[in-house]
Amino acid sequence: MPKQYRSREGTVTAVATKTQLTTLGSETAPGPLLVPAGAKRLKAITAAFGCDLTIAADGAYLVRLEGPGLPEGPEVVAIGASGVGVATGGGYTAPAVRVELNVPVTPSNEILVFAENTGEDTGSTAVGVTLEFEM
Amino acid sequence: MSRTLTVVGDINAVDTLTRLTAQGSITAPSLVVPAGMKKIIKIIAAIAADELADDGQYVAFVRLGGAAVLGGEQVIIFAGGGNQLPQTGSDVAPSIGIPFTLEDVDIAISPSDTISIAAEIAGADPGDTAMAVTLVYGT
Repeated sequence: MPKQYRSREGTVTAVATKTQLTTLGSETAPGPLLVPAGAKRLKAITAAFGCDLTIAADGAYLVRLEGPGLPEGPEVVAIGASGVGVATGGGYTAPAVRVELNVPVTPSNEILVFAENTGEDTGSTAVGVTLEFEM
Repeated sequence: MSRTLTVVGDINAVDTLTRLTAQGSITAPSLVVPAGMKKIIKIIAAIAADELADDGQYVAFVRLGGAAVLGGEQVIIFAGGGNQLPQTGSDVAPSIGIPFTLEDVDIAISPSDTISIAAEIAGADPGDTAMAVTLVYGT
C-alpha cells in the first residue's frame, strides 16, 4: 500500500526544553498533524536540523512524539548533535537522517511533534521532522 | 523499470515556496509522469548554502503535489544547515550538500498527469542556496 508523509518544522532556542514543531515553512498554521485515515503504523521518521552556531558549545538533538495518535505512548528519537569551538565562525550542511520504526498509530488522531536541544545550549536550531506512515 | 526526473532551483529566502521547474541546461523539463509509472520509489535531494547571511539555521524540504500525486501533497524534510557569517579576511569551510536518498518511498502517482515539485527552507536565512531533487519513478 502507498505511504503518506507528514512534516512539521520549528526552531529550538533553549536547552532541555521541549519545543513543539507547528509550522511548515510558508504554512504558518498547517494545523494538527493527524494520522492519515487508514494508516496502520508509523514506519519511520526522517529529520534534519541546522544550528546557527552562535555559542561555543555542543549539544545533541531529540525528537519527541506524543499525543493520542500514538496508543502506546510517547517515542523519543535521537537525530544528531552539533558543536563549535568559537562563536564567530563555522558552518555546515547535513543531510537528513531516516530512522526506521514500527510504531502503532491511531488513525485520524493527532501526533504532537517536539524537538529538544540537550547537553549545552547551542544557540538557535531549526528542526524538521517527517513522519512516514504505512497504510 | 524505472524513470527519473531531476529538477533544480535556487531558494534565497526562508518560508517561500519555490517551484523547481528547471534542469540546468534544460530550462523546462517535462513534469508529466511517464506512461506506466505508478509510484515514486526513491527521492534524492541535496542543498548547499553560500553562508553569506549571519546566524543562518534552516531545514530544507520538498513538496510533491499536483494532479499526479494521488494521496495529496507529500512533504519531506531532506537536509539542514547553519552558519555564522565569516569574519572579514578569513577563510571558511565550504558548504557541501551531501545528497539525502530516501528509499522505498512508495508514493502513489498517476501516469500521464503532471507532478509539481516545490521546495522551501525554514528557519533563519543562511544566504543563497542551490538545491537539486531527483524523483525515481517505478512501476
